[in-house]
Amino acid sequence: MNFIGSIINTEFFIAAVRLSVPIILAAVAATICEKAGIINIAMEGMMLIGAFFAAWGAWLTGNPWIGLMFGIFAGTAMGLFHGWATIDLHMNHVVSGAVINILGFGITRYLMVLVFGHPGNSEQIPLSLAAFRFKIPLLNKIPFIGDILFNQTPIVYLTIVLLFVIQWVLKRSAFGLHLHAAGEHPEVLATLGISVKKIRYIAVGFSGTLCGIAGAFLSIENGLSFSEGMTSGRGFIALGANTAGGWSIIGSVIASLFFGAVDALALRIQVLNIFDIYSELFLIFPYVAALIAVGGLVFKSNPPKALGEDYQSE
Amino acid sequence: MIKEKTANLQNKLINFIIIALFAIGTFFVIGGVFIGWSLIVIALIFWTYRFLKQEDMKLKNFLNIIYLKIKFPAFGLLLSFLLGGIIMYISGYNPIRSYGAMIYGGLIKNWHITILNSIPLIFTGLSIALAFKGGLFNIGAEGQYYIGAMVATWIGLRVNISPFIIIPVIFIAGFMGGALFNVIPAILKIKKGAHEVVTTMMLAYIAAILSSLFIKFNGGNPVTSKHAYITDTIFESAWLTKFDSIIPSANYRLHIGILLAIGLAILVQFFLYRTRLGFLIRVVGESPQTAKTQGISVPKIIVLTLCLAGGIAALAGVTQVLGLDHKMFENLNAGYGWNGIAVALLANTSPIGVIFTALLWGALDAGGQYMARTVQTPTSIVEIIKGLVLFLLLAKYLFTYLKKRRKV
Amino acid sequence: MKKVLFIFLALAVVCGGLFASGSQEKADSKPIIGMATDTNGLGDGSFNDGVYSGLKRAEDEGLIEIRLIEPTSMTDYVPNLSGLSEDGAGLIFATGFLFYDAVLEVSEHYPETVFAGIDLSFDPSTMPSNVIGITWKEQEASYLAGVVAGLMTDKYSNLSDKLNDKNVIGAVLGMDIPPVERYIVGFTQGAKSVNPDIEVLSVVTGTFTDQAKGKEAAIALSEQGADIVIQLAGLTGIGVFNAAQEKGFAAMGCDIDQSFLAKANTITSARKGISEATYLTIKNYLSGDLKSGSNSEFGLAEGAINLAPFNDFEDIIPLEVREAVEKAKAGILDGSINVYSTRAELGM
Repeated sequence: MNFIGSIINTEFFIAAVRLSVPIILAAVAATICEKAGIINIAMEGMMLIGAFFAAWGAWLTGNPWIGLMFGIFAGTAMGLFHGWATIDLHMNHVVSGAVINILGFGITRYLMVLVFGHPGNSEQIPLSLAAFRFKIPLLNKIPFIGDILFNQTPIVYLTIVLLFVIQWVLKRSAFGLHLHAAGEHPEVLATLGISVKKIRYIAVGFSGTLCGIAGAFLSIENGLSFSEGMTSGRGFIALGANTAGGWSIIGSVIASLFFGAVDALALRIQVLNIFDIYSELFLIFPYVAALIAVGGLVFKSNPPKALGEDYQSE
Repeated sequence: MIKEKTANLQNKLINFIIIALFAIGTFFVIGGVFIGWSLIVIALIFWTYRFLKQEDMKLKNFLNIIYLKIKFPAFGLLLSFLLGGIIMYISGYNPIRSYGAMIYGGLIKNWHITILNSIPLIFTGLSIALAFKGGLFNIGAEGQYYIGAMVATWIGLRVNISPFIIIPVIFIAGFMGGALFNVIPAILKIKKGAHEVVTTMMLAYIAAILSSLFIKFNGGNPVTSKHAYITDTIFESAWLTKFDSIIPSANYRLHIGILLAIGLAILVQFFLYRTRLGFLIRVVGESPQTAKTQGISVPKIIVLTLCLAGGIAALAGVTQVLGLDHKMFENLNAGYGWNGIAVALLANTSPIGVIFTALLWGALDAGGQYMARTVQTPTSIVEIIKGLVLFLLLAKYLFTYLKKRRKV
Repeated sequence: MKKVLFIFLALAVVCGGLFASGSQEKADSKPIIGMATDTNGLGDGSFNDGVYSGLKRAEDEGLIEIRLIEPTSMTDYVPNLSGLSEDGAGLIFATGFLFYDAVLEVSEHYPETVFAGIDLSFDPSTMPSNVIGITWKEQEASYLAGVVAGLMTDKYSNLSDKLNDKNVIGAVLGMDIPPVERYIVGFTQGAKSVNPDIEVLSVVTGTFTDQAKGKEAAIALSEQGADIVIQLAGLTGIGVFNAAQEKGFAAMGCDIDQSFLAKANTITSARKGISEATYLTIKNYLSGDLKSGSNSEFGLAEGAINLAPFNDFEDIIPLEVREAVEKAKAGILDGSINVYSTRAELGM
């Protein structure tokens, strides 16, 4: 039973956090967007584009922070694009999401050839954001949690901060209330003279921003370059996390952490060779977990009432 | 009385001739014998003449109606090709030579590859189109493809009996496999409201990973096998007939799966628009509320729709294994799921339309390969063009949007 | 009016296309060498890139003209090969073991063209005379790397702060395909030959394109005590170098000298000279010396296999280790050391 000790230790939780960050960002992106009434299944495509632009920026300028800016910009642009398609063009939300996913793969492949001359893997970035890892004084001395949460890399900290900010805005600010209303009873908002359109644009644009950050994490903080398809289905697991979490920020975070932990666990079990079974059975872990979570109902499925419904504003 | 009967008979005969000409012409064209186009054209002329006579319409009005119908899709296509050409030019490639190669390659030189490419797309496209008509999104079609391929390979490796028995059996088994695979998402949806986009997607990933395991157990074990990661070859009795057994000049890889795909498309069209069940599915798709008030059991229809869609997508895998590969590879880059979605959306989810959009997609790929080989323009431009063509969806919405703006 | 314009445009596009395709002839003065990649395409950091760089070298020297084609899916394998033949390629490289059937099929129809299957080996008694199977003895390269790892991790671990005294080394694998298996077997055998008590851990990530997974795998291995981790996973392996830099352990590369990925942490790489073998094959073809109808195995004896330079570890690696490597090389060359190529032989 020493195995349990070898697996479940501080490093495991650090890995779980590391593996869940992109999922958390994408899941929260889905939560915010859908709470405002716009279905978003395009996290995968948005993350991929964010990852590419982040790597491009970091490679071009040698400065990963500029890369992060590129990624944020690209993600936000894709988010706004989804918003334009669904809000102004009244396209079916799922269809628009599907198109963006397809576009994500196509655009990144084409840009790879254009910018780097070949598909597959981009050139290595000179400096990655991981080089900017720092400890938060005092807090990182806390045993266990200190190492896990307060000795991390920039985007991880950014995520933690963003989570608090987002939760506060959603629960305590007027905008948060409006956002909630936009997803549940948009007509009510209109009678109050508040533009449903504007709120939805902000929500969907910001969800793109978060996806861009998630993509940047993959390529320039946790990685050293962009590889085609490097999102590997995380966007869809994030979708599952949002659903399993019941369209709440806290729920999405918990579900995402769970998926990250499952991923980290699967890898460690394989290393320790505890069970001599095929590696494929480990590889399906996260997807099975997502399926169970979404169907098994951690929280009851409670989507916003006006989710996906086209809102015609004057 | 007799005059009526003979007139009726005459009508039926002419109908038969027209359909026969069309079918034979199509068959030849698919097989690469392009004289077949003349038969198709003759059939079309006859049909148009009769149609005009029956409806008492002028040719000019008829052409106008057609023009209105294809205005948007054609406009979108032309626009995307134009934009693609501009992108090519900016990136330093010659658009005229590139397009020339693409068109020549996709429609003439490598026409058989266009057909082969389009076969699985027609199946997955139909699957998604059917689901869409029922208001559902069967995004996990690619997973069902793997299930179908696995079932076909499993049976094909073990059972060696007459093709007239084994092939239908495999098709039925594959269909059931795909249908069963979608039962879980279906039940999760009706009982727990789980969105099928997530559930079918997760299952698709699981199916893809498990297919590697399947291949290892069926002849592809890297430790023991001569051909690692590829299964053994299935018995020849399970192979689909090749075109060259009827048209000797056809490419040796072309198989009759295309006819099965077209047949299925016609069947699905008939099912959706001429049967009661199809009608129910469409009603549930349009408005579940209305369906409920009409006393239709919405949950039952949802399960039925998802299972049918799952079965049809699985047939894509079955035809690929029985017709083309005769074994199973780890086709992890296939993309039949996403391309199937594109094909279905482009066809505005019309089953017959799916045939044409799948052919278009297949031609873009085949033509793109030819272009890349002869002109050395990278195939990634084809991905861009595909994306732009998808914009054609937006073009329709854009048009309506702009029209509305102008009114205000 | 609009309609006429529309019809005119549509016809113009189609006709233009059909006619333009005719005007494609260029004066071909140099022999055309074709390359059909697998579905990963260029940028895979492994076979495709290696073969292409060999081709590029020949092209830059003005010897040949390259025709490259990347498929969209496996259905394109056969048409790509036949298409390249029809375009006039005299020698066509097909990369990857998945080309097995395609090469056999197409070579029958084009007896004048030579098909070189990269990472493919055929049954010598039945293979067509215009086909060559080219493989590498990856196990020899990784054997040498294993010798270095085996000694450094234990006896000489005090020479670098990146090494510990746990006597554990690790390997991150992509998928369990034959070349990867040869690599890991050689690595394990080499390490055990100089350090019988060493523990060699490995992880199969199941992908050649997921950096993040590679990084996680390497970190997990290092947490179990591995201080030297070799990457056998293509692009996934980039994550291994990333992890080595972040966590402060040592890494080894494969295929080519990969120290550029983590200068201070890479001890060496198990090179297998894909580019060199390709170039050699092209030169032989051009001079008419190419022996087709057989398999070529490129190993230490052929000069394709070697260890990459120690680079930043140059001053750290002691004499005994270098001598052990030379001894191993000599043993492989004179046959006294039989490096296994399958797990079964090694008893793994």
